[in-house]
Amino acid sequence: MNEPGIVKVTYSFSASPKRVFDAWLNPETTGQWLFATPTGKMVRVEIDPRVGGRFVLVDRRNGEDVEHTGEYLEIDRPRRLVFTFGVPKYSPLFSKVTIEVEPAAQGCDLTLTQEQVPVEYLSSSEKGWTGILAGLARCLAESA
Amino acid sequence: MPAVKVKFNAAKRNAEYANKTPAKKLTLKHYSTIRLTIRAQPSILNRMVEQSSQPLDAVFRALADPTRRAMLRTLADGERNIGELAAPFRMSFAAASKHVKVLEAAGLVGRRVMGRRHVCRIEPAPLAAADEWLRYYQRFWTEQLERLDALLKAEDRAASKHSKRRRAKR
Repeated sequence: MNEPGIVKVTYSFSASPKRVFDAWLNPETTGQWLFATPTGKMVRVEIDPRVGGRFVLVDRRNGEDVEHTGEYLEIDRPRRLVFTFGVPKYSPLFSKVTIEVEPAAQGCDLTLTQEQVPVEYLSSSEKGWTGILAGLARCLAESA
Repeated sequence: MPAVKVKFNAAKRNAEYANKTPAKKLTLKHYSTIRLTIRAQPSILNRMVEQSSQPLDAVFRALADPTRRAMLRTLADGERNIGELAAPFRMSFAAASKHVKVLEAAGLVGRRVMGRRHVCRIEPAPLAAADEWLRYYQRFWTEQLERLDALLKAEDRAASKHSKRRRAKR
């Protein structure tokens, strides 16, 4: 039974853990499948594959640009990748996605979990940082 | 686990939630046992966020606690006051009241005050929104991984063709 609020998907690949893992972070490969739609066209792929780095993938669907964005929280090649993920056009909410890759007899097994993250905990959310910085600015102004 | 029928007794509220379409009868076996077969459009997310008055993370936080899930199951059978909700858990009125407040804050429970009695009822709309969210993303990620699998297999096929040609040349 899934925990409330958690999406879990497992998938077996015949490819090696490294190939599967790298497909998430290599702009050339990633743009060909991640957040791509059969009828859409990937018009922008930006990946900064380091902890704290961000990604932006924009898929053009019927003339409409849909941006998928987030921030990498953990990168442990080829085992574990954690990032935040949101589609600002459809929802102000961000979630946390964890990818775990386990070697298998033939290729590897990938487990993906997605959980919602309360907006206030997100460093990548404007609200989070703006709030923190505004608080800091107030503190400094008061102590001056 | 007993099946839970969520009755849409607040038809007006549901019509508002379901974008003025007639209220559907919703049966949930258990809120966290989700059957993942229905395909949702991306626009559903937009609608979910606009129309569920409570953010989903409050809903999921409320549902994360087994006592609160049990309280919701009880409320799915009909209205209860806080004392009745507390009874199966041998917990104090104050403790039960705290749980009810969390459920209320998430929009999952409504409350009616009748004299000194506080009568609670289940509000199914946020549950439906949470369910929709899970179904949508389960399907979404499965599709992403299928696409990745297809891409890697296409690369393999291209590579094996290439090496066959090379072997043939030798």
